[in-house]
Amino acid sequence: MSSLKRTVLYQAHVDAGATLVDFGGWEMPIQYPDGIVAEHLYCRSRCGIFDVSHMGRIDVKGSDQVAFLQHVLSSNVLALDVNQAQYCIIPDTAGGAVDDAYLYRFVEGQYFLVINAGNIDKDLAHLEKAAAGFDVTLENVSDRYAAIAVQGPEAKKLLMILSGGKTLTTENVKNALGTLTMEGRPVRIAKTGYTGEPIGYELYCDSADARYFWDRLLALGARPMGLGARDTLRMEASLPLYGHEMGECELGGEIPVYAVPLAKFAVSFSEEKGDFIGREPLKKQFEAFKKIMNRDYSSLSELPYRIQPIYLEGRGVLRKGFPVYCRDAWSEGKPIGYVTSGTMIPYYETTGEGLQTVITENTGKRSIGLAYMDSRVCENYNIEIDVRGKRLPALVVGYHIRQDAAPYARPILPNVTVGRALPTPDSYAGKAAELLKKAQENHLWRQTQCINLIPSENTPSRAVRLLCGSDPAFRYAEHKKQKAFYDAEIFYYQGTRFIGEVEQLLAEEMKKYLGCTQVETRVTSGQMSNTAVFSALMDFKNRVDRKRTPQRLGWVMNNHIVRGGHLSAQPMGALHDYIAVDPVTEKQMVVNFPVCADNPYRIDVEATKKLLTQYKPEFIIFGKSMVLHKEPVAEIRRFVDEQGISTTIMYDMAHVLGLVGDHFQKPFEEGAEIVTGSTHKTFFGPQRGVIGVNYREEDLKWGLWEAIQTRAFPGSVSNHHLGTLLGQLMAAYEMNAFKDEYQKAIIENAKSFARSLAAEGLDVAGDPAIGYTETHQVIVKVGYARGPEIADRLEENGIICNYQATPEEEGFTASGALRMGVSEMTRFGFGKEEFARLARLMAECILHGENIKEEVARFRADYTEMHYCFGEAELDDALNTFAQATGI
Amino acid sequence: MGFPTELKYSRDHEWVKMLDDTTALIGITDYAQSKLGDLVFVNLPSVGDTVEAGEVACDVESVKAVSDIISPVTGKIAEVNEALNDAPELLNNEPYEAWIMKVEEIADSEELLDAAKYEAFTQEEG
Repeated sequence: MSSLKRTVLYQAHVDAGATLVDFGGWEMPIQYPDGIVAEHLYCRSRCGIFDVSHMGRIDVKGSDQVAFLQHVLSSNVLALDVNQAQYCIIPDTAGGAVDDAYLYRFVEGQYFLVINAGNIDKDLAHLEKAAAGFDVTLENVSDRYAAIAVQGPEAKKLLMILSGGKTLTTENVKNALGTLTMEGRPVRIAKTGYTGEPIGYELYCDSADARYFWDRLLALGARPMGLGARDTLRMEASLPLYGHEMGECELGGEIPVYAVPLAKFAVSFSEEKGDFIGREPLKKQFEAFKKIMNRDYSSLSELPYRIQPIYLEGRGVLRKGFPVYCRDAWSEGKPIGYVTSGTMIPYYETTGEGLQTVITENTGKRSIGLAYMDSRVCENYNIEIDVRGKRLPALVVGYHIRQDAAPYARPILPNVTVGRALPTPDSYAGKAAELLKKAQENHLWRQTQCINLIPSENTPSRAVRLLCGSDPAFRYAEHKKQKAFYDAEIFYYQGTRFIGEVEQLLAEEMKKYLGCTQVETRVTSGQMSNTAVFSALMDFKNRVDRKRTPQRLGWVMNNHIVRGGHLSAQPMGALHDYIAVDPVTEKQMVVNFPVCADNPYRIDVEATKKLLTQYKPEFIIFGKSMVLHKEPVAEIRRFVDEQGISTTIMYDMAHVLGLVGDHFQKPFEEGAEIVTGSTHKTFFGPQRGVIGVNYREEDLKWGLWEAIQTRAFPGSVSNHHLGTLLGQLMAAYEMNAFKDEYQKAIIENAKSFARSLAAEGLDVAGDPAIGYTETHQVIVKVGYARGPEIADRLEENGIICNYQATPEEEGFTASGALRMGVSEMTRFGFGKEEFARLARLMAECILHGENIKEEVARFRADYTEMHYCFGEAELDDALNTFAQATGI
Repeated sequence: MGFPTELKYSRDHEWVKMLDDTTALIGITDYAQSKLGDLVFVNLPSVGDTVEAGEVACDVESVKAVSDIISPVTGKIAEVNEALNDAPELLNNEPYEAWIMKVEEIADSEELLDAAKYEAFTQEEG
């Protein structure tokens, strides 16, 4: 067997009792003594390590390196930032794949290509031939470095022990890279993998250090995994394997690149990329693919078959080559494709639903695979597979696992439904009575038994609530300024005199409160306020040329949602239809505020200045929904003015709208041009939005203000919810009357609450030197992925707050923190002592699992009177009269 | 596990437990299961089928491959071990308890080895 090649970790495999096989000319472990099934399960539940040193590693150097890579790879190399990796395909001239590969860019000027072990010679020959005419060298550095894949929910924890707590990659996202030392040895880390685990890394080290790291990872609790488990894991993740889902096709010829679902991410036709090997046939495949996605089969001949995951419903095991059938007339009873990969996969059974899902220790098995089938076959199609002579039923599925609930890969079985029907009485009168009863229970529970700490919530005063329910609530009062009448407001409805006056008074109060020249109050939420502004910016940008499709916005600078930015400002939220795509990188033109290394809750102003100079964003959006600090509006305004960067600065104050003033920030004084906000968080209003601007008629951007108004009405609303508009005026009176005391109390209470929680032994986020927070929010860390469970437990005990993912965590299911706000309870009279008492109760519940429900209810019962509103005798009478007279 | 002395063994790595002169339980040996790896599926034969000594009776599937079970005897299948449908791993964990089929009316058999000879045979195979 010594003619086979061995990796530098060969002895480790022998020492561990691995069963070794010939894999593409290499002597590699197929499994270790525990067996493939146990290895697969351990990777999914803990952490597996894989020797992937046999894969080819090529260093691509020379002045033409980018041009060469653009020529031989399917991907857009210009889209690859430093410290990023990208999946790509090495296409051949006929539209098939020579190999699939991964391109890494660890440092400026260096490109590192990793290819499949079995294809090294073939790939190198192909690449060398294609390199003729380019000033480029291809160095096979496979021997110099070893590679270990570390995959599974505990992968990050283990690697960070080795890194001494240093973060592994520059960003905590898939395909991010990092260069660092681990226990004194230099390593390169990639957040990549072939197992479908949401948390998984590949570690590249000097060959001399490979055994050291292998043994260290085993000592820390990882288990070794062979090629057998590597195959079952990647199959469960529906990842292609060259030789099965790519390359030679059992129906003859080659499998086209676009047959593989991942192709759409790996192939670019960008003009900047230019011509590349295989571009023409791939373009034809892509056009056919787009049609097929719309169930248009007119170009079926360009992409007659596609790879899709399949699930065997009958008893048996899928294997490569098994023919697939369906009952459609067009198949005429003949096979419509064949299985490309298949086996029986173990998985952990779960109980519960949604966030309450619990992964049990019981395992099941499912018979799954991937199949190359006629492109007319869609998800949820019923097919049949010939399993060694027996025709068994199967289902085409979208995926076998999901990676969107870190830290675990979640197995997805077909035909599982969640939720159940809610029981209600039979008659509609009965349903109505039941609804009232339940609504009353809910109201009293929340208002008299719970301590409410959700930072985006508050309770409006009785005055506000009564007004919200009174007559204009179900009316219309559409109005627009008319230039023919000197911009007078023209109302399109009758019966609107009263509400017209209310709206005018509200505008005056809001201008006074915000300190700006103009406000738009018709928007009915914070997110709508933002959408109206984005729409207005785009409209304003395109006002001088309406004859073509409007240009979108870009570059836009915002806070990334992972670092506390709100949904609104993200492409997945309100920015979705307004953000442009950069034709060079083919990515959305968003650049995020960088944060301080020692405090991820604070924007790094100096690093931001560098990005501002580089990107010159046309639009800057300050504001966050997980917020502990002031936004550096003044510093950034000063910088863009000094540098002559033409931009629009907006502050989405959302949470902190009620803190505008001396105790927090005065956004317009600091240089913001536009402020949006939610009127119902720290501000006393019902749920609405507001937009304030500081433009004057003589400004160029006065036209932007006019666009904001029309994008509010008729752009975003027809009916602008007149009930809450009326309540909002009362709330504005309350804010303007009581803001100094209220804002001071909020800031003091937040710091005091934070300090009390820390004193009780909880891990409070933020800078202790400044009392942890500058806002109404307090964030407490409760342990990786424990947020949802702890927030649930607190709710059972009458304390309502949010689970929250901190910047280090991979998503809301991995939330390790709680987000709380002091505004509502401050309004109900909580002060320093009350928050200290609350901190003690919370510590008992969070740290010791104590049942505090009774005590919380008793505590809350003493604090139901609202402060910072007009509560004296004269208004109480007026309120009672109002309630009685209106019958609300 | 190893090589229980009360059983007989075939060169195809099945074990035979004679219940009486013409009835036997058949299974696979510990050596066989360790070579096959984790078994994930068993294609049991049907009650009433006839089996021939030296011919394929049924098959078992591991993660990576399908493997034939060669019947060591000629006879008629009286019973099959249904437990293997839900728990094929029993063949790995308890190879000498997890019988596959019970054959009756045994008329013929391959040459069967005793425990010592079978152990020696497995060592030759390597």
